[in-house]
Amino acid sequence: MSNSSEAKPALYSQTLLAGLWRENPTMRLLLGMCPTLAVTAAVKPALTMGCCVIFVLVCSNIIVSLMRNLLKPHLRILMFTLTIAAFVTIADLLLKAYQPDMSETLGPYVPLIIVNCIIICRAEACASKNGLVISIIDAVGMGVGFTVTLCVLASIRELLATGAIFEIQMLPLVKDGGWFVKWAAMGMPVGAFITLGLMLGLVNIVTGKKA
Amino acid sequence: MDTLNAVLMGFISVVLINNLVFTKFLGTCPYLGVSGRIDMAFGMGMAVTFVVTLSGTLTWMIDNWILMKLGLEVTRYVCFIVVIAGAVQLVEMYLRKFLPSLYESFGIFLPLITTNCVILGLCLFLNVWMIDNLLDAAVRSFGAGVGFTIAICIMAGIRENLNLADVPGCLKGAPITLITAGLLSLAFMGFAGMIR
Amino acid sequence: MNKIKHFFRQSWLLIVASFLFGLLIAVTNAGLSPRIEQNKINKRNRLVGGLLPEAKNFVALDAPVEIESARGRKENVEVYKAMSEAGQCVGWSFNASGSGFADKIELVVAVDAAFEKIAGFDVLSSNETPGFGDQIKYDYYRSQYKGAPASELKLVSIGDPKEIDSKIVAITGATVSSEAVVEIVSRFVTQVKEQMQKKGIIGNVKQQ
Repeated sequence: MSNSSEAKPALYSQTLLAGLWRENPTMRLLLGMCPTLAVTAAVKPALTMGCCVIFVLVCSNIIVSLMRNLLKPHLRILMFTLTIAAFVTIADLLLKAYQPDMSETLGPYVPLIIVNCIIICRAEACASKNGLVISIIDAVGMGVGFTVTLCVLASIRELLATGAIFEIQMLPLVKDGGWFVKWAAMGMPVGAFITLGLMLGLVNIVTGKKA
Repeated sequence: MDTLNAVLMGFISVVLINNLVFTKFLGTCPYLGVSGRIDMAFGMGMAVTFVVTLSGTLTWMIDNWILMKLGLEVTRYVCFIVVIAGAVQLVEMYLRKFLPSLYESFGIFLPLITTNCVILGLCLFLNVWMIDNLLDAAVRSFGAGVGFTIAICIMAGIRENLNLADVPGCLKGAPITLITAGLLSLAFMGFAGMIR
Repeated sequence: MNKIKHFFRQSWLLIVASFLFGLLIAVTNAGLSPRIEQNKINKRNRLVGGLLPEAKNFVALDAPVEIESARGRKENVEVYKAMSEAGQCVGWSFNASGSGFADKIELVVAVDAAFEKIAGFDVLSSNETPGFGDQIKYDYYRSQYKGAPASELKLVSIGDPKEIDSKIVAITGATVSSEAVVEIVSRFVTQVKEQMQKKGIIGNVKQQ
């Protein structure tokens, strides 16, 4: 640990960037698919869900990292789950209080953050083995990576389904005298699955997994 | 007779019309990871059906008879997940003791079921749909498991054939599975409006 | 004794953590629940305020009204009396729901003070097909209910949507969704009216 003071910033930035691209939870690790498909019909719910996940990830990573020396091996999954459930309840209450419309749109997908594989996997793989600062940075990196993926997917779907992004009209609709015909299928489960599949295919091309 | 009719309609609604995988996006993680073997997929479906029926009924009972009576709805999520984790643990212990061969064939699927969105999702949807009697809740939980099993078996069957098809390299694996799932969800949309 | 000691040694963290988390949740809930309640009231005010412009407050009836659902089950409906600034009753509003094409449709319906005419409805939640059944949220369909008689409504496939009567013109390509809303509104309006007349709350123009 002699040159730890020089290695630390490099380690921090590496951990942060890993969550954003190299180990992006949805794109590369294929975790957290359920909310990715469900809330990306429009950008606003996607962004809200992303922020909730960042909040829960950071809080749970902090607590798990603080507790890591006290955990008994066979009870640790239960401990993680309990921690995550508590913070998701708090996030849900905050959402209901300050963003009631979004709370209704997201509906039961907010409590489903509890079983979102990303959070349990990060608690298991990172927070239970590392110190406080690294855990926080990892949580932020993963959370932001997840949010960015959600927003990109949501923009594509919302743009094609309604011609608007974040409810700001981008393409002129036929009924307003323009040329854009709304592609309703994008707002439905079909569009979700197919768009995500194509996006993953694109990521595979970019990272060089060609035939 | 009327109750039976209503309950049967509820069952069909959860299995076909509001299939939890294709319309509510639950259970996509194991769904993508399922191998191309129908027998393994069926085994996983059976395990999930068993756990979800047990958890759905239990959590409905706790929610309606204890939490809502005492005004403790805010602890709902914590209670649900603890019950689900407990149910999975129980099933595991029971299988290991009485049906060891079945336990062997499930392998690592069993502990992984705790993080399966279908189970927690169903418990929450039972709340959203405002199901108000125990029989309806139990039948719908069972229906959710059956719906998941159907979805996963169809997917396993298709993947078996996909292995022999000429899929472009970048789409091999998860992408083509998702696109297939999309087409399947389009097919299942045909069931909408089947019952009033 | 040893078994109990062993149990505690293994799970003390779990017990302590559950207790602490429970406390955290309880505190957050206590702090935020007034705001959450206020949000629900604001939402009702906003939606019904669009239908009954003079309404400023809503007072719930003492007891919910019991009606029969489509499948013969009993349902409890909370009816709210809409009061103007001056304290006069300007109408009534309640939530109505039933099954639509895809899933459950939830509406908030407003009627005038004498329960003679429907002031209109708003969609609280629905999962209808975008572009087709979704149009129940738009003016073409909704405006047909403003001023319609508070009695049995009928769905017709062709007609004049501008004519305000008990015939509602269906949305092209969304017959099931249109029919569902007609059925929900008719059922709730007629039954709530009947129950309220029985209870003497409305009937002979006498209101407090």
